[in-house]
Amino acid sequence: MKEFLLILKGDGMNHLSPDELQNVFGQYKAWVGELGAKYLDGQRLEENGALLNNKEDDILTDGPFLESKEIIAGFFLIQAKDQEEANQIAASSPHLGLYRIEVRPIAFPKMN
Amino acid sequence: MTQQSDQIVEHLFRNEYGKLVATLTGIFGPSNIQIAEDIVQDTLITAINHWGSGKIPDNPTGWLVQVAKRKALNELKRNKMMQTHHQSGLLSHPNDQEASTIFLEDEIADSQLRMIFTCCHPSLNPESQIALTLKTLCGFGVKEVASALLTTESTINKRLYRAKTSIRNSDLPFDIPQGKELHMRLETVCLTLYLLFNEGYNSTASDSVIRKELCLEAIRLCKLMVDRFEDNRQLSALLALMCFHTARFDARIDDHGAIILFEDQDRSKWNTELINLGMQYLQRSMNEKSLSAYHIEASIAAEHCMAKSFESTDWRSIHNLYRLLEKIKPNPIIGLNLAIIQSKLDGIEASLVLLEKLSENAALKHYHLLPATQGIFNMKLQKYEKAITYLQKALELEPSLAENEYIKAKILECKKEG
Repeated sequence: MKEFLLILKGDGMNHLSPDELQNVFGQYKAWVGELGAKYLDGQRLEENGALLNNKEDDILTDGPFLESKEIIAGFFLIQAKDQEEANQIAASSPHLGLYRIEVRPIAFPKMN
Repeated sequence: MTQQSDQIVEHLFRNEYGKLVATLTGIFGPSNIQIAEDIVQDTLITAINHWGSGKIPDNPTGWLVQVAKRKALNELKRNKMMQTHHQSGLLSHPNDQEASTIFLEDEIADSQLRMIFTCCHPSLNPESQIALTLKTLCGFGVKEVASALLTTESTINKRLYRAKTSIRNSDLPFDIPQGKELHMRLETVCLTLYLLFNEGYNSTASDSVIRKELCLEAIRLCKLMVDRFEDNRQLSALLALMCFHTARFDARIDDHGAIILFEDQDRSKWNTELINLGMQYLQRSMNEKSLSAYHIEASIAAEHCMAKSFESTDWRSIHNLYRLLEKIKPNPIIGLNLAIIQSKLDGIEASLVLLEKLSENAALKHYHLLPATQGIFNMKLQKYEKAITYLQKALELEPSLAENEYIKAKILECKKEG
């Protein structure tokens, strides 16, 4: 088993109505349930924060610093056999469509 | 609410959205409704994240309130920092302590009342009032508001933008009016809720689910007002009217979305609970000298609801009530109703004479239900050719889809008979 980070980009849910959000919630809960032990973690990120380019320049605060479709909205950490299975898991996520999802394997898998 | 559950109640997000936006508007002021809406949106998305991958909390509403409060306080801090940087007074009520008490249960109901008065402020036009009420108090999305009001998303976005700009520019207060002003403001609130309800009730568009929700939301807001302003008879009468009409909502349309005329409706499908509630509020509204149009409209609806069958309806009483209504609120549609009821009192031919007279009225020139009625009445007299002419005229006046189907079916029937 390998670990994969699913990086969600965009601002898809900001434009949904409360009823639509509740619908996504139901689908998401079912998705996590189906994944079982393959689902490890998931967090959402706030849009603001800071950007540090190098040691010399001022720290930029009060983001967002990117176009809304490039903003990282959050991530899921999952386990999968290989990239293909990880891709399939991402494809079955109810977040896909609302967000673009980058599926990246974690380097240096845990030794166990 | 201690039962651990895998699901949350239907429309929980939507219902809490309305309450939370009202509450947060109490913190940020009506000029910043948008900030309140953004925070509540963010709160709901946070809930998806937490509840989806973990457990749904025992008290989901309490959880949402806590998170929204925390986010609001953070926003206040952030804005204070920005204010010291930019010297711009963005927020009108930046007081943390005040913010904490605002989340108590009574205060939440109170905030909704303030929000109703803000959304129904006379300085906004009725279209904007309705759009803003649906978006903020009822938690409908722009797409849903558009579909409920049979218009486009961009139209709704414009109305919302205009409303929010206008609230900011005139610096509307977030309070419940007092004294003399209260009476006048309550009239505007009544009218807006009445129009909002009619939007849901009067059109038989295909998406009847969302339109019924519109009616139920109007009832919910009206009930909030009635509970607070118990002595206001107009509000009680309006609530009674809404209950009577909504009681008949499901009986008006068949399983395929086709219209069922009032006389053909299955009365066993009427919601007796709502009818009884309506009677209670109608009685409560009835001990005052002044009589509003809402009283009379509610009384007319009550007459219909109490009649055991279409045949046993007390048409004489209803006719009298309509005449009274015409005096208070002159309106050519009431003339049309009076002419139709005349058919029950003096026969169809007498009614047709009145309808013909009405067709000269400029205000009814483009109203499809007038020729549609003339067509149906002629059918009843077996004057099929005449009926077809009227029905075709009705079709040209762009009735709703369901009405269109109904009229076309009637034309076919005429052709078969004639």
